[in-house]
Amino acid sequence: MAEPAKTKAQLDADFAELYSAHARDLYSYAYYKVGNHHDAEDLVEQTFLQAYRHFERALRESDGRPLRPWLLRIAHNLAANHYRYRSKHPLTTLDDSSPLAATHSTEELVQGRDELARVIEGVKQLPDDRREALIMRFALGMDNREIARALGRSDGATKVLIHRAIKQLEGVVALAPASHR
Amino acid sequence: MSGEGEQSHVEPLLARVFAPIEPPAGLATRVEARLQSISQLAADELDGWELAAMRDPRNWLRPALALLCGGAAGAGLLLLGRHQSRRTRNDGESAGADR
Repeated sequence: MAEPAKTKAQLDADFAELYSAHARDLYSYAYYKVGNHHDAEDLVEQTFLQAYRHFERALRESDGRPLRPWLLRIAHNLAANHYRYRSKHPLTTLDDSSPLAATHSTEELVQGRDELARVIEGVKQLPDDRREALIMRFALGMDNREIARALGRSDGATKVLIHRAIKQLEGVVALAPASHR
Repeated sequence: MSGEGEQSHVEPLLARVFAPIEPPAGLATRVEARLQSISQLAADELDGWELAAMRDPRNWLRPALALLCGGAAGAGLLLLGRHQSRRTRNDGESAGADR
């Protein structure tokens, strides 16, 4: 039997809950994806606005499954548009080294005796889909199934994607000069 | 964690590289304000749309019919009321004459 339609007040309350539950994840994803706080804020805002428009339907169709992959998918598509727009209307040079390096102090990087620095360097060299899967796994703690739903791939393909990303990073770390180890 | 059973030595480093980031405190307020302004815009748009729709003569039929039906119902009620009050008066008069 179909559930009775929710009132606007109920929907708004549910949406507020959705925001509280996923704002941090969305922000982490956005920040590592677009590379600066300003664009990350915009991306998260646009994601939630878009989600609000289709929230009732998403609740109905999710059938009780978590909505995090759906939110990330919205953010992923919006970020793709952002990059398309930026490639046509560049403002300044995008500082792509900042998002990863900025979250770690120089001291921390020195202490880690460049293994961390090398991983950061390696992450920057990864293809977008591999990097994205790693963000979801390590910043958001998502499992393969959730990542697969967010990326619109099969569970198997996602497992392979993450495995290859990690292998690639292992290669980058191993290739570093011996003096750095 | 990579799904191979054994954890790669890179994985703890990745957990540090991708440390979760707290959103700025003002973001929730900003999103809420945007949602409220969008709801308000939608309501205004709907009001405007209803008014604009009334300018189209094709949309006059339904209100005209409603007016006609309402008028007919009102007239019917009026007649019924009059009829009933006349009957009550007549009943009273005939009861008086009987006595």
